[in-house]
Amino acid sequence: MRALASAGRRVGGRLLAAIPAVLGVLVLTFLVMRVLPGDPAVYFAGGPSAGQAQIDQLRAEMGLDKPVPVQLMYYFRDIAGGDLGRSLTTGQPVLTDIRQRLPASLELTFSALLIALVAALPLGILAALRPGSAVDHLVRFLCTMGVCMPTFVTGLLLIYVFYYLLGWSPDPTGRIDIFAGTPPDITGFLLIDFALTGDWAGWRAAASQLLLPAVTMALFVLAPLARMTRASMLAVLGGEFIRTARAMGLPGWRIILVYALRNAVLPVLTIAGIVFSTMLGANVLVEKVFSWPGVASYALDALQASDYAPVQGFVLLMATIFVVVNLVIDLLYGLADPRAGAE
Amino acid sequence: MTVTRRQGLMGLAALGASPIALASTPALAQSRAETLRQITGGAINTLDPTMPGATRESFGLSMNVYDRLVAFERKQVDGHWVFDHTRIRGELAERFETSPDGLKITLHLRPGATWHDGTPVTAEDVKWSLDRHVGARSLAVSQFQTGSLTSPDQFRVAGPGVVEVTLEKPDRLALSNLAVPYAIMINSALAKRNATADDPWAQKWMQTNTAGGGAYKVESFRPGVQAVLARNEEWKNGTMPFFRRVISQSVPEAATRANLIEKGDADIAIDLQAGDIATLESRGQVKVASIPQSNGFTHISFNTRMPPFDNPKVRQAIAAALPYDDMFRASLFGRGRKLYGGEWTTPASADFPVPMPVKQDLARARALLAEAGMANGFSTTFSFGASTASTAEPLAALVQEALGRIGIKVEIQKLPDAQLNTLQSEKKLAFYTDSGTAWLPATYYFFYLYFTRDQRWNFASWENPRIAELADAARFERDPAAYDAQCKEMISILADQMPLLMLWQPNMDAVMGKAIEGFTYQFYRQVDFRDLRRA
Repeated sequence: MRALASAGRRVGGRLLAAIPAVLGVLVLTFLVMRVLPGDPAVYFAGGPSAGQAQIDQLRAEMGLDKPVPVQLMYYFRDIAGGDLGRSLTTGQPVLTDIRQRLPASLELTFSALLIALVAALPLGILAALRPGSAVDHLVRFLCTMGVCMPTFVTGLLLIYVFYYLLGWSPDPTGRIDIFAGTPPDITGFLLIDFALTGDWAGWRAAASQLLLPAVTMALFVLAPLARMTRASMLAVLGGEFIRTARAMGLPGWRIILVYALRNAVLPVLTIAGIVFSTMLGANVLVEKVFSWPGVASYALDALQASDYAPVQGFVLLMATIFVVVNLVIDLLYGLADPRAGAE
Repeated sequence: MTVTRRQGLMGLAALGASPIALASTPALAQSRAETLRQITGGAINTLDPTMPGATRESFGLSMNVYDRLVAFERKQVDGHWVFDHTRIRGELAERFETSPDGLKITLHLRPGATWHDGTPVTAEDVKWSLDRHVGARSLAVSQFQTGSLTSPDQFRVAGPGVVEVTLEKPDRLALSNLAVPYAIMINSALAKRNATADDPWAQKWMQTNTAGGGAYKVESFRPGVQAVLARNEEWKNGTMPFFRRVISQSVPEAATRANLIEKGDADIAIDLQAGDIATLESRGQVKVASIPQSNGFTHISFNTRMPPFDNPKVRQAIAAALPYDDMFRASLFGRGRKLYGGEWTTPASADFPVPMPVKQDLARARALLAEAGMANGFSTTFSFGASTASTAEPLAALVQEALGRIGIKVEIQKLPDAQLNTLQSEKKLAFYTDSGTAWLPATYYFFYLYFTRDQRWNFASWENPRIAELADAARFERDPAAYDAQCKEMISILADQMPLLMLWQPNMDAVMGKAIEGFTYQFYRQVDFRDLRRA
């Protein structure tokens, strides 16, 4: 009970401490968007015969005719009321857009992180067990390749091989087969929705659409995870308690998986948290290449059109996710290493 | 009462689900052959084409979902179908008459025509729609002004199924304006049910819902992602389209679009990269229709209010210094129609755009520059928008090199599109390339739109009193011979003054499966699904 209460206090404290940071990010984004050259009213009044009158009218509608501090106040008032504004690019409220698109991005990012972790942990452990061996070099080579190749190159390459040449993969656009019917809309996570409705054919189809983009992203983040696993495993394996465990004759797998890995996993968790947050925003190229209807490509389109509301909404979302992810990582620390929770 | 986790999730989903997702009906398993899949680089962002910021893809969709009173016919040019703005046919109007003085257009609605919800189309619906296009805050207002349609008083219900449009002056393009993408005819009863006090024209609702009666109904729509259309089996306002179902999907990556078309998973795309098109054509798995965009033009503009470009001699010098053929090849791989190298001193016809009489002549360029008092040249910047980089970048490099030879130092400036548009609108660009398209390619309309008035589309910020006077006169001219003379004079002035240099009309390259037939180049530069069939 005491542990729970202390955890609760920590969560609350963390959230409170995050508020100034999020506010700062909000103000900064707001100002940067307005400093950027490019007037959204001009861009969107771009009909064949739209004149200055239309531009002014649109500017007034968007509130851009008011001084920036006033605009900022209106903006905070709207956010407090849960209104993130309306996107001119899609014509919808930003909140609706994000609600429709966030599950797609999250599903992709979670899958990619899962694939990356499943691949990176064993690779890192193997490399750490035999440093300098052929296995170690192979892992190093794989990681370097993954990092060196920009994600859109990996993506296009995978599409070319598995869709265009071999034909194993379904056409690389979107989350489900375009000719199939509408998917169930329960959580927005297609794999979960199909599982909930028991539509396993649909589940397989969605999974096969997801595979290529997820692998593309996983390859890119393989390196930090695998290298970090290797480095921290090396450090831990050299520790005295490992030598003692070996001397006591404990089985090798038990030493590595239970005693060494549990101690080595802390930095990996930190990196995984950072990787996750970065992936969510940085997967814009993957989303573009695979026509994935996610939040990152949404924000990029809006940015190119100087469409303020979606960009601000996106940054707010990212800041929030960053705070939440860091919090979760902190709590996981406590599970992995009780000493970290004691403070 | 306890709520299980699953019920909670369902509840949340029900709250979050958009009305469109709920309204979509489970699609019948229709055969692939009867389904058309179009893939686009841009995306449809609204179902109401008159919304500010509506994309070109949205215009294309609305042509299929909404009917207009009238439509343009099409004609064969070099083996391809192209729209013909000189021949207008009825669409929702079965027939129409223009009075001899050109001041009254009477439109007779097609008997038995219905909206998508099955209710009959009435003259009151048409009147409400026309009122909306001149009264609501939308893109339609300024477009309709170009046809002298400005006030609801001009539209009158003249009996059951008859609508009269009256004009103060016999505007040449009044009728044509009723055929543009903005001129949608709306089921007014349905729209009014969804209007609010703040929004009497139901503009918010119509962004994600339709109230039309066109050849296709919207089955599902996700802004920025995809739209699925189902054929309207009750449609009476034209030939029943071949495809029962149409999917228009946004695929931002050009290479992926090329792959999809070649594999036959998608049927048509009109915005592939020039390099990919050449490869696809050589591999022979697809069909390519290359049609010059006859109502568009790519240009190099000078800011005629900013020194040194306020001096016509400087503009003429630059015009004589540019390597047009090299630019055409480098920029477009020669895929288009040239608007340079004309061999005339007086225009042969009143048609426009036509090849203008410019060619490279460095000696003349140097002489003109000396006459302008700038024998030693000057420095300037040449700008273009990032989205046009693939064609504008090679062009800019050649401009820089050629002008360097007559002593003009050019710095190349690549700008994000929103920034370029802003600078353009504020008239702060000195020297740049861009392109324009006129939906209604009448010669006077080009001049009115692109060479008169203090507004964004006057690319060169050109003020020429004679052009303004001629464009205004031609607009209401009833005598064809006088109209031709006015147009020819405007073309001559343009050729002499060179506020901007016409370069070329790029091809529209529609890449499609071999079995797709009937593609038509439309003035709004999108695919009209009603034209297409699968052989």
